[in-house]
This record gives sequence, structure tokens and C-alpha cells, in this order.
Amino acid sequence: MGEGRQSPNWVLLSLMLAAVAAWLSLDAVSVAPNRIVPGTSHMALGVMAGWPAVLLALPMLAVVVLAWKPGRKELRLSLVAVVTLLALLPLWLSAATTVLVEPDMPQARVAIGRSLWLVLFLLLLATIELRTRLGLSRPLGWLLLVPMVSSWWLSLALWLEPLALLREYQARSDQFVSALLAHLILVGAAVGASLVLASLLALAMRRHAGIRRTGFAVLNFLQTIPSLALFGLLLAPLAWLGSRLDWLAAFGVSGIGWAPAFLALLGYSLLPMVRNIHVALEEVEPAVIESARGMGMSRRQVFLQVRLPLALPVVLEGIRITTVQAIGLTAVAALIGAGGLGTFIFQGLGQAAMDMVLLGALPIIVLALVADALFGSLSERLRPGGAA
Amino acid sequence: MIELFDVTKRFGSETAVDGISLRVEKGELCALVGTSGCGKSTTLRMINRLIEHDGGEIHLDGQPVRNFDEVELRRRIGYVIQSTGLFPHWTVARNIGLVPRLLRWPKARVRERVEELMHLLGLSVAEFAGKYPRQLSGGQAQRVGVARALAADPDILLMDEPFGALDPITRETLQQEMRELQARLHKTVVFVTHDMDEALALADRLVVMHQGRIVQQGKPIELLHEPANPFVESLLGGLDRGLKEAALIQVSERMLPLGPRLLASERIPYGAPLSQALSVMLWHRVDRLTVVDEEDIPIGELSLRRLLGAKTS
Repeated sequence: MGEGRQSPNWVLLSLMLAAVAAWLSLDAVSVAPNRIVPGTSHMALGVMAGWPAVLLALPMLAVVVLAWKPGRKELRLSLVAVVTLLALLPLWLSAATTVLVEPDMPQARVAIGRSLWLVLFLLLLATIELRTRLGLSRPLGWLLLVPMVSSWWLSLALWLEPLALLREYQARSDQFVSALLAHLILVGAAVGASLVLASLLALAMRRHAGIRRTGFAVLNFLQTIPSLALFGLLLAPLAWLGSRLDWLAAFGVSGIGWAPAFLALLGYSLLPMVRNIHVALEEVEPAVIESARGMGMSRRQVFLQVRLPLALPVVLEGIRITTVQAIGLTAVAALIGAGGLGTFIFQGLGQAAMDMVLLGALPIIVLALVADALFGSLSERLRPGGAA
Repeated sequence: MIELFDVTKRFGSETAVDGISLRVEKGELCALVGTSGCGKSTTLRMINRLIEHDGGEIHLDGQPVRNFDEVELRRRIGYVIQSTGLFPHWTVARNIGLVPRLLRWPKARVRERVEELMHLLGLSVAEFAGKYPRQLSGGQAQRVGVARALAADPDILLMDEPFGALDPITRETLQQEMRELQARLHKTVVFVTHDMDEALALADRLVVMHQGRIVQQGKPIELLHEPANPFVESLLGGLDRGLKEAALIQVSERMLPLGPRLLASERIPYGAPLSQALSVMLWHRVDRLTVVDEEDIPIGELSLRRLLGAKTS
């Protein structure tokens, strides 16, 4: 903290300079009369005579100045500025929408432009940098997002009806909910099943060196097959199984659909999971195990009370990696009819409707981030010796 | 009492321990000394069956260790290792209470015993009970390790280089505490170390091992006076042997009552070792010291001739 007082915080400085530049030079919003016609782009300075855009640029410039000599006080002020900006941006978009969309255009669609995306992204990065510099705890970090989220929520509910993303959502809200659920169920089932399988496999590997060698070889090989190819490879055998065994067919097993997607996800999840569980169990300090045995703990007690609890944070790390990876891969699974949020991405790509792509992609990103944060903090909490 | 009869241990084609016989009396502290790889740790770990011996017999109080269930056996024997092996995910109090809990003592009794042991080892309960091992210094962690080994009040204590990883000052403090602890508790202790000074300072019986065999055993002073071969002699410090011997003898053993002469100006406590008295003489270039008691009251005198072992001054 002390060393930060002297030299400028270059990260924050460049982030905010880039934000100002993007905000003032790129298009912030575009308006189209309907879904088919391409929209007209507007720069932030071109909306409402430009003064709200300038007003928003001022706090960004202020942070640039504050970052020059970043003491604790300056960093706190910067954080306030950044959080406020994040909350103000949706309000600016609401205002811009109200001004740009004329009442006689009921089908009009407003899309978020390059500068607004960029500024949002850069401000979030700045929040992370400031949180780290100020040493704020994870829960406090999440609290920082509350103003932004509530401001977006309010704007979407009241003023942002013409936002293209919202229109896409409203047109298929039932579909969206079921796609989200399908996505979550597929990820949950794959990760859950791979956790169970991987645990058994890792335990067997600890016993027998032969299983360890072949096991890792097979899993490594599986990992190298491209996901689409794996779906393709599973197509024929599953179709054959589904046609041969009625009870499997009744269960929904066929060449396409959830079954090949589930199996492929399971295959990809196994390697990181097995590797983490195996390493976690093996890496417990030998002296700790030796003293546990020397003190008179039975094998079972050593495993359950010492080895497993000490391995748990690393195991959770494996679950985290696997979950994030599965959330992404499930998007691809939409191609073979497994459903999920990927459906919107591929449909949107087919119809050249970028907002529909976003409707699938944005929730996937959010899901991945939430899963990452959730398991990350859980694993941190379970570290030996508890949180400091 | 621990007895080893012609005990052998082989790892593959290599013989780690080669037919050693040893007897540690009840209440005795026996130090196993030797260079690394001489089989001293293996010997120690065969006693609590972390390693099973291949040949010969090991008896505890006349019973072969193989007659005990290995888990039961280990719960009866305290065990301390160099890197402490404290469980990083448990607090100090929980670490110390491990064996009593394994023995299913009632909760209140475990807590009482943990606090008793923390007092015994000079660890403040309020300050340390809730701390985790990584928050402790090396010396504190090792005290917790000793407390944990003593928790169920075992008759036998096995210590494998317990102070090996500590800095010299902490190590000496803990050796001193260990001496005081042993004077109070009279455990039967087998203590493995490669540090001859540590062994000389603590041991009632010294066992020198080399290449899996016992080269010589006996009281420290006996080994100093009559090393069996050049290896033991070099292990005991070669030309420094005189100083090591002097470190084993207290000033009170050589001092004479106060005579008619004037008191010598330099003083030495009666409990100090002769090596220290010699150092004081060398430093101040005098050949006579006044011996004082705890209250700094003169009770005798020590001359260089007496220090060297002459009969009269």
C-alpha cells in the first residue's frame, strides 16, 4: 500500500484513458426502425447535444487524475466514481433511447454500440483493480455491483423497452427460461456425474499404478478430440443403442439430443476432475500423514479426518474449472439438439441477428463468472487454517 | 521399558538395521546418534510399528509389539517428528487433544488436559488455543508437537529429530525445557538426533549407530572417555572432546568450600557447566573463580587446577 503512494497506478490510468477515448470517439448506440433494417449509429456526443456524455466523461477523467498519485484516499474516491459511473450508464442509455426513438416507431430497436460495451467492460476491470488494491473482501466486492445491477434492472423495467436485447428476450421469454434450465441441468448433471466417477477413478488410481497410467492416457486422449468431433463420434453408437434397446429410447437416448451431449461433457469433465482429485489427495504433506498414523489414527481416520479435508480446496478448484468449462461447452451442444442457451447463439447466427446471439452469449458469460466466483470463494474458505 | 533383541530391517536388498539389541529402562532418555542413513530413524519407527521389523523381537514392558493392535499401540506411545506434522486445518487445542479424542475421553476431560499441557509447555491458552499451526513460530509449533505427544500421558515417547529444524537459540531453549520436562515426568524416551551436543545434553544413555549397527552404547561420559573406535571419537568431536566433557560436569562437583583467601573477583553460578567456568577464566585471564548460588551469595571457589580435575587446590 505504501509503495502505491509514490508511483502512478498505470493499470487504472490506462483503463480510464481508454474509456474516455472510446466513449468520446466511437458509436455508443444505434437505432433501427425494425428487426430487419440495419440501424443508424450515434456517438455519445451526438445525443442530447452531447452534454450528458461530457458529464459522464468528467468522472472518468477525475479517476485518471486520482490514479496519478494513488493513496488510499484517492483509490477510495476512484472506486466511488467508477461504481457511480456503472450505475449511471444505463440511465444515460434510457435517456438516449427516449430521445432517439420517436413515438411513431413502435417496432424500433435500440442496440448498444461499441463505445458503451467498451466503457462497461473497462469500468468493470477498473472495479476489479480497485477492489484488489484496496484489499476489499469478496462479499464487499459483490456489493459494489449492486448499484449497477439495480440501475440496469430499473432501466430495463421502465424505459428500455426498445432495447433490441430486451425485445429478443420478450419475444421468447418462455423459450429463454427453458433454455436456461436445460443448460443448467445439463451442466449440473455432467459435473455431478463426473465428480462421482472421478472420485472413484482417483481412489482406484491411488491403489493401482496400472490404472493410474492407462487412466490418465485415456483421459488425456479424450481431451484432445474437438468437441464437435466427439459429438459426431457419439452419434452413431448412441443412435444404434437407442434403436436396439427400447427402454433407452424411452429414456430419450438417441444419436442427437441430450444423451451425446451429456456423454461428451462427462468425457471432457473427467480429466480436470480426476487430475485435481488425484493431485489433491497425493499432495498432502507426508509429514502430516506420518504423524497422523504415528499418533494412532486408523487408515480410515487418516483419510476422512486428515487427507480428505486437506485435499478439499484443490478438489473444489477442479469442480470450478470443470463447471466453467462445461458451461461453455454446453453452448456447442445446442448444435446436436441438446437445447440450452447455445440455441439462441446458433439461431441468431443463422438469422444474422446479433442481439439474439447476445441473448444466448451474455447469460453464458454471467453463468460462468458466477460459477467461478462461487467455487473460488468456497475453496478459499476451506483452505487449511480457515480465512486469516 | 523398551527392549530390542537382534532386530533387523531390510528394504529390498539393502539392510537398514542389522541385528541391533538395545534396552531402554523405564524413565530413561536414550539418544540414538549417527550420521544420516545409519538406521536410527528406522529403529525408532519400528518401535511404534510405522515400519514392521523383519527379524528379531521388540518388546514393550516384556510384551512383543506384534501382540498389540498397531493403532492401539501407537495411541499408547507419544510421537514427535522434526517438521511437527501438526494438522494445518486444526487449531492448536484440537491438535493437542487428538489422542485423547481418539481414546474417546469425555469432552470436558479433553479440554482440561489440553489446557494443562499448554500450561506445562508455556503456551498461553488464551493466546494460542484458537490459533492455526501456520500462525505459530517454529519453536511454538514444536512445543505444540510435544504437547500433542504427551496428551494421553503415554509412558513412552519417541522423538525423531524434534528440534532439528529450529534455529540454534530456539533449539537450545527447547532442549533446556525438555530436560526440565523429563526431570518432572520421567518418561521412557527414545530420541533420534544427529546433533551430538544435543544428545550429550539430554541423554541418560547414548547409542551410536553406524551402517545399521550399534557401534557403542553407554552413559555419555563413558563414551567420551572410552570411544570404541575412531568413528565414535570423531562423532564426539575429536579434539573438542574435552570441552564436551566439561559441558557435562557441573561447577558444584569440582568446587571447594570458601578458603581463607580473598574472594576472586569473577563469579560463576554453581549449576553452570565446567566448560562455561573455563570460558570465564580464559576471557578474564584469571585462574580462580568465586562460586555463587542462585541469590548470588558466594558459597565456594573453583581454581583452574580443580577444574582440570586435580585432587587439591
